[in-house]
Amino acid sequence: MSSTSTTRSTVAVEAHGLTVRYGRRSTAALDDCSFRLTAGRVSALVGPNGAGKSTLLATVAGLLRPTAGTLTVLGTSPAEARERIAYLSQNKPLHPQLTIAETLRLGAELNPARWDAAYAAAIVEQGSLDPGTRVRGLSGGQRTRVALALALGKRPDLMLLDEPMADLDPLARHELLGTLMADAAERGTTVLMSSHIVAELADACDHLLLLGGGRIRLGGGLDDLLLAHTLVTGRGTPADLAPHLVVESRAAGRGLTALIRNDGPVDDRWQAERPSLEELVLAHLRSPSAPALLAPGTTATPETVTR
Amino acid sequence: MSASTLTSPLRRALPGPRGLVWTVLRLHRTALWIWTGFVVLAAGLLLWLYGPGAAHTQHLLDTFGYAGVQEDAWTAGTIGSPFSGAYNDLFYDPASLLNIASFAVAVFAGGSLIARELENGTARLAWTQSVTPARWLAAKLAVPALFITVGTGLLVALYRMLWSAHSNLLLAGIGPRALYFSVGPATVAAPLLGLAVGVLAGLVLRRTLPALAVAGIAQSAVIAFRANSWPFQGSYQQPELSVRSRAITSTGARIPDPGCYESRACLARHDVVGFTREYLPSPDYWPRQLLETGVLLAAAAILVAVAFGVLRRTSTS
Repeated sequence: MSSTSTTRSTVAVEAHGLTVRYGRRSTAALDDCSFRLTAGRVSALVGPNGAGKSTLLATVAGLLRPTAGTLTVLGTSPAEARERIAYLSQNKPLHPQLTIAETLRLGAELNPARWDAAYAAAIVEQGSLDPGTRVRGLSGGQRTRVALALALGKRPDLMLLDEPMADLDPLARHELLGTLMADAAERGTTVLMSSHIVAELADACDHLLLLGGGRIRLGGGLDDLLLAHTLVTGRGTPADLAPHLVVESRAAGRGLTALIRNDGPVDDRWQAERPSLEELVLAHLRSPSAPALLAPGTTATPETVTR
Repeated sequence: MSASTLTSPLRRALPGPRGLVWTVLRLHRTALWIWTGFVVLAAGLLLWLYGPGAAHTQHLLDTFGYAGVQEDAWTAGTIGSPFSGAYNDLFYDPASLLNIASFAVAVFAGGSLIARELENGTARLAWTQSVTPARWLAAKLAVPALFITVGTGLLVALYRMLWSAHSNLLLAGIGPRALYFSVGPATVAAPLLGLAVGVLAGLVLRRTLPALAVAGIAQSAVIAFRANSWPFQGSYQQPELSVRSRAITSTGARIPDPGCYESRACLARHDVVGFTREYLPSPDYWPRQLLETGVLLAAAAILVAVAFGVLRRTSTS
């Protein structure tokens, strides 16, 4: 294996100045996004409603044409990588007139080279679903399970999941997330999944992409991002926290609580704490003007020539 | 409920349709059954008109000549109505059914075949399997096109056979002429154009209801053009169709119809024992049919090309 193909294979998704606009005059759903997602990462895609999460996932899946910028997926264009990508869209579309067995047959027919029938069937059976049931008769959560079975049966190298767990009960969510993560760990599958439930992501993911207003606001390994920030409490004003960058601050009792991006050690006057993922995400969501931060492994390499 | 119940349909002993073809056949199974049912019913009607249905009117023609044909049509009292049971009226019903079918094909193609899949996202489901949108669209066009061609082709062949055998049992006028010039290869091309119209409407509008409405209206215009209706009448007149009627005497001589109507005494006086009557083939038939077929197929090809262009613009194929 040559060195170029090795470096290629370690990058699952790489975007340079990726811009997607619906219609010519509308505002960009994705605005000049540059990032890279290393292969094998399980990345959480978070952001407020309308931030561009679904647009980013659909673009990486090759369903939307970028208005500008380049996008490399699994070392090639999204359309070329189609066979190796699984995509689960937010509304989990399935054909209502098909039975579960026929839906899985559809997966087999449309993925002749990759389909793992036993694996897909096992995911359905885990939910005690009768393969003869028509999809139209399933509940929302059961449909999600079948849609996931269809996506995973393909044995993808990259999974793009848009709100995969939203309508599952806590038990099924735990179970399916477990299946997903076990598979990802075993086969080195890269996962990029959006969710509103930040706490759930903390257990499952090791990487974070925070989108806001169509731009990447935060990107990097969870540990790197958490280490780069500190939650401080104490007396003083936000200006006293210089040279640290104050992401968000608010009055707490007689003092101040602030999430800062540390620049060197924090002064002893302040009580410092590691923020939780939820605190990190919420602080950035509350202050959209905070500068973006991409951890070194997540920045797109400028010299990479794509397409 | 075991793994085998889920996996067993995947490995079958008999080779069947695979991949996208299987998918299109399965997803539109109901529509394909309805189509098959329509073809069987229409073929049954044509065969009945060819065989037992014609016997009574044929007997009247043999006995009384064209007057017998007129009598048969008029006794029903509902000439021209689609619900009339007179042979003369039933003869035109397969043509109406073929027009309705070409309309239905356009509505189906716009609504259920394409727009519904775009609207509820199942098209994206297919495109994120190992199938490009272009191949998906190609299968969506090819499978219905095959069914349309085989089904309508069969009905047109039967209709031409019926015309050769029994067009002499039709009341003279615009009816036989319009029917003669419209049934042929162009009758197969019209629903194929309907398929293209529907597919393009579905891809452009992306919503079921508007797509099927627009496809239906557009195909109605195609049907009006084919039927020589206003505003296409002026430049697209159907030529005259000649009919030859003779009475046969007991010596076998062929004489002009003596005009006896249903008077047996009069027929006996003229020594008439039988009649012949036939529409003569028009030299204009094939030029008109082939030109019309060419126009319809060219329009369909253009619409299909535009449809692939629209698909390419909206997705990455």
